[in-house]
Amino acid sequence: MVETRRPASVHGRLLSYLLIPLFLLLVAGVAVDHHVIVTPIHNAFDHSLSRSALAIVARIRPGMDGIPEVALPQHPPPPLRAMSDEHFFYRVSLPDGRTIAGMPDLPLAPDSGSEDGFSYTNLTYRDNTFRLTSYRTSETGEPLVVTVAETPARRDRAVHRLDVAFLINDTVQMVLVLVIALVGIRIALRPLQRLSRQLARRPPQALTRLPTQDVPSEVLPLVESLNNLLGRVRDSVLSQQHFMANAAHQLRTPLTGLKAQLEVLARESAGGPLQERIALLHGGVDRLAHTANQLLTLARAEPSAHRSSHFALIELPKLIGEVIDSSLDRAIAHGIDLGADSHPAQVNGVYWLLHELLGNLMDNAIRHTPAGGNITVRCGVDRGHPFLEVDDSGSGIPPEERAKVRERFYRGSGSQTDGCGLGLAIVDEVARVHNARLSILDGSAGHGTRMRIDFPAIS
Amino acid sequence: MRILLVEDDSLVSDAISRGLVGSGYVVDAVPDAESVAARLADSHYDLAIVDLGLPGEDGLSLVRKLRRSGSSLPLLIVTARDGLDDRINALDLGADDYLVKPFALPELAARCRALIRRATAAAANEIAIGKLRIDLAGRRALNEKGEVLELTRREWSILECLAHHSGRVVSKERLTQAITGWSEDISGNAIEVHVSRLRSKLGSSATVRGIRGLGYRLEDG
Repeated sequence: MVETRRPASVHGRLLSYLLIPLFLLLVAGVAVDHHVIVTPIHNAFDHSLSRSALAIVARIRPGMDGIPEVALPQHPPPPLRAMSDEHFFYRVSLPDGRTIAGMPDLPLAPDSGSEDGFSYTNLTYRDNTFRLTSYRTSETGEPLVVTVAETPARRDRAVHRLDVAFLINDTVQMVLVLVIALVGIRIALRPLQRLSRQLARRPPQALTRLPTQDVPSEVLPLVESLNNLLGRVRDSVLSQQHFMANAAHQLRTPLTGLKAQLEVLARESAGGPLQERIALLHGGVDRLAHTANQLLTLARAEPSAHRSSHFALIELPKLIGEVIDSSLDRAIAHGIDLGADSHPAQVNGVYWLLHELLGNLMDNAIRHTPAGGNITVRCGVDRGHPFLEVDDSGSGIPPEERAKVRERFYRGSGSQTDGCGLGLAIVDEVARVHNARLSILDGSAGHGTRMRIDFPAIS
Repeated sequence: MRILLVEDDSLVSDAISRGLVGSGYVVDAVPDAESVAARLADSHYDLAIVDLGLPGEDGLSLVRKLRRSGSSLPLLIVTARDGLDDRINALDLGADDYLVKPFALPELAARCRALIRRATAAAANEIAIGKLRIDLAGRRALNEKGEVLELTRREWSILECLAHHSGRVVSKERLTQAITGWSEDISGNAIEVHVSRLRSKLGSSATVRGIRGLGYRLEDG
């Protein structure tokens, strides 16, 4: 079996079309946000670093022998204190490179020549990354270079926190946009869903136009095309029905004439030499008439030919009574005991079609039941479902043939009778018109056939 | 018994005429609805057989016109159309029976017989089934020897009900309704008992056939 892939739903397609651009937008948004925020943060932290350098400068006193002294307390003041996971280093040096205080190996930032005297750089010192600023000043008299360096953990943490905040914020926004978009799409697609529900709820025989009011302009062309199609189907159904009515008339009238003429001829030539041949002719015309009738019935049983106005509530016991009434003489002539076992049951159906259905089942049963046999027609309600059954004590249908007998023009292997092979095809077709199911079962007597029609429950 | 046949197809018309003449009727055939009035003015008919698909004025409109003019002539419709709508239409307009082509001549003859019998019964208040004669006005039944059958009130009601629908199956429920008033309650078995007594009283003049699960049918001898 070939596996068919369903094309993606409009929803799925819109989702996939939206999801990728939205994701790219999210990445770009976070990147832009990052760039926008990283400079002010760095500036703020650089500023605070420069305060540390100035705090050191404030503690420089001119010392003896012209070398300034730095009087730092045992515990540095807040800007100089390093947090537990941070490192803070400083160095006060002379322009010639001599270190007055702090770490003598701390490198200096190259002079950027800025007006405020601060030069910044990033570097690696003692296996750690540092942000470093060198302050070149002559405030204390002598030119000095005050260098302070800190690990950038705090600023990195700040940037990271902001990045995470932006990411969460942007993601929430995107998800909201997506949800709103999907809800919007769902609401916008409602007319389509309404249309499909309308179509699904229509009985198969309804060929009337779909209403076009309240249909949004995007869906209108679809509805109009459907209406066009329905119109064409309706026209063709009508012309087919018209054709069938004409064909019925044109076929049946001469057949009636032929049949009647042969019957008269048979009576007039009773005992004569032509009697046998007239009987043969009569048999042929009868078969022809039967086949024409069955073909016409089959054509008229097509589901498309039935408007919902043809459907009515039908009492199955009454139907059984009428069909038995019209088949009784034939059953008696065949020596068959024909009877009913009716329980109250109603179905929603087309009366003449159900009459044809039961008539054909009865016809088959009479053909295949030998003299002395019996046929019982049943109806009732089984677990909420009305059913109709014709149970005969005849030859039965072997299980392997049961599927085939429904085919048009199929005639069973054991059939010597003059059926045209359309009876069960008609039954099957009529059952389909009524959403009913035909089952071919063993006769309840242990032999023979039980033809059962299960109708849908009446709501 | 005289029958007017309105049928445009000469093959059919000729065969029906011959067939019915063979069954002992006098048959006048006309090919269209327009000639019917003149024929009816000329002679008395016991039955008209009307084809629905006539050229010019169609059968349905003929039926309507006849009934509007107050004619009670029994009308048997024959037609090639078998749609339920057509059937209901024809019967609603006042046709008495309906036969779909192609039919067998014996079937047509039987329908004619039944219609004529019904019309005669209504006129004479008497129904004849086989050798049995049922006098509806006198509420008595006569067998083939002309003897009045001794029937109880209920047996008579059953026979009357069956005779009104002779040739058709009458349900047990309907028979029960026919023999009981509203206050009375009677079992299906009681009907069987009455029918079997009625059967033995009818003897060979007519038969009451029991149909399993449905009811009874009164048949010729």
